[in-house]
Amino acid sequence: MTCRTGPGPDLPEGRRTAHTDAAFTALLEDSAEELYESAPCGYLSTLMDGTVAKINTTLLNWLGLTRDDVVGRLRFTDLLTVGGRIYHDTHFAPLLRMQGGVNGIALDIRQADGGRLPVLISSVTKTDHDGRPLLIRTTVFDASDRRAYEQELLRERQVAEEARRRAEEDRQRLQEALAVLQSSLLPAQLPQVPGMEAASHYHTASPDRLGGDFYDLFPLDDRRWAFFLGDVCGKGPQAAAVTSLTRYTLRAAALHNPDPVAALTTLNTVLHERYATGDPRYCTAVFGVLEPEGDTVTVELASGGHPPALVLRQDGHTEYLPTPGGLLVGIMPSAPFTSARTVLGAGDTLLLYTDGLTEARTGEKRELFGDEALLDFATALTDTAPRQVVTAMTGLLNSFGDGLDDDTALLALGVPMTDPTPASDT
Amino acid sequence: MSPLTTTVQNTGTGPLLRIAGELDYSTAPELRELVTGLPLEPGQRLVLDLAHLGFCDSSGITAFIVARNHALAHDADITLLAAPGPVLRVLRVTGLDQVFSLAPGQDTRTERAADG
Repeated sequence: MTCRTGPGPDLPEGRRTAHTDAAFTALLEDSAEELYESAPCGYLSTLMDGTVAKINTTLLNWLGLTRDDVVGRLRFTDLLTVGGRIYHDTHFAPLLRMQGGVNGIALDIRQADGGRLPVLISSVTKTDHDGRPLLIRTTVFDASDRRAYEQELLRERQVAEEARRRAEEDRQRLQEALAVLQSSLLPAQLPQVPGMEAASHYHTASPDRLGGDFYDLFPLDDRRWAFFLGDVCGKGPQAAAVTSLTRYTLRAAALHNPDPVAALTTLNTVLHERYATGDPRYCTAVFGVLEPEGDTVTVELASGGHPPALVLRQDGHTEYLPTPGGLLVGIMPSAPFTSARTVLGAGDTLLLYTDGLTEARTGEKRELFGDEALLDFATALTDTAPRQVVTAMTGLLNSFGDGLDDDTALLALGVPMTDPTPASDT
Repeated sequence: MSPLTTTVQNTGTGPLLRIAGELDYSTAPELRELVTGLPLEPGQRLVLDLAHLGFCDSSGITAFIVARNHALAHDADITLLAAPGPVLRVLRVTGLDQVFSLAPGQDTRTERAADG
């Protein structure tokens, strides 16, 4: 900081008037000494050991001390708070020694009434002709307004951070709500079907977008069991609402009439009636009934627009169980559904899946994984139990990485070679 | 990913909408908006030319159903023209091959197929 103490700047001759002359005269009377004492900043000269040699009135007023209290009695650091003293000794003084000057360091000075005043301090070392340090000249600026401004900025930042934290909490809560809603669309665990093993897996593509895939397995009576698996178009809460409607409609329809075509027909009527106007909402679904009989299980299923189920035979053979012509459920007032029947022997497994699996993109060309590749992959699993089939399929899904951007549901139902083991969710 | 590009041409029998690129979760809403804004007269036929459709997932299928509903609401028909193999496969799996009238593509002039 330069404190101008000399005469005012020269102005062009023509502009000089009696009025300005008078003003300059008044300025000239403002002597260097007067300016030093009552400048809008504090001045301080200290010996090299820190003892205060000279101090101006402005700074004495800020400190609440008299000249006699300070000059020759106190060191510069005695004017600082404890924290300021430490900072002075560890940073300020070394810098000053090294550079011969320090600019605009923020410190607090102690006031006689116990208060503290935030200040900005600059110091330069005055040397003699040989470069030996003689004394330190220090200016002290009142930084209380500036500190208040900085604290306001800090407070605003804290408010912003608090808002961000709350938004993060809200997001977390929403995610938990979505997870609960999602889990309400799936059985918590598969029931144990006597003489069978069942396993399932649900791959969630995005925790933020409720998926529309669903499956279920439940008893119809003391002999027969029903299962279904499907995929509702779209994602998010609207899709989840359709999924919920679908799941409970199929469950209710199955108890009323377990014929697979009848169950899908009921679902079609319900969905079409509910979503006849506006945004089309539909699903694909496979619905089937299991009827264990001795060592075998008879499966009768029907499909509405869903990819065909896979049958993994114990003898190493794998085949799709075609249900051609079954239409998407819910888009037409009445829809054709096709049924198919097969018998599972010991070691056979029926695998249901949603098209996330076959429509995953693989390789550099990002080609669809496809039916053929699925058939090949499944053929290598024909000698494994449903649980291992689902584990292997889960591994396959994980291997797709970002090539899999859709939810995918898997449900494997099989007749174990040995004693039946409990159902499991992987 | 190649984005979705669409061009509309009015033929004597109704609008011909060429759909090229990828039809998925991110691009399907654009097609749905476009197709529901197409003016249709009773008895006309809306043709969706899919010859250059590189990819189509279930969102795309929904857009076709929206197009069909739009056509039916105006007593018009709809045809899917020159659906590529993978799209045909999806249409078959979903049973939609029975719902939409499908026309094979012609390498020369797709307009002629639309006119005819």
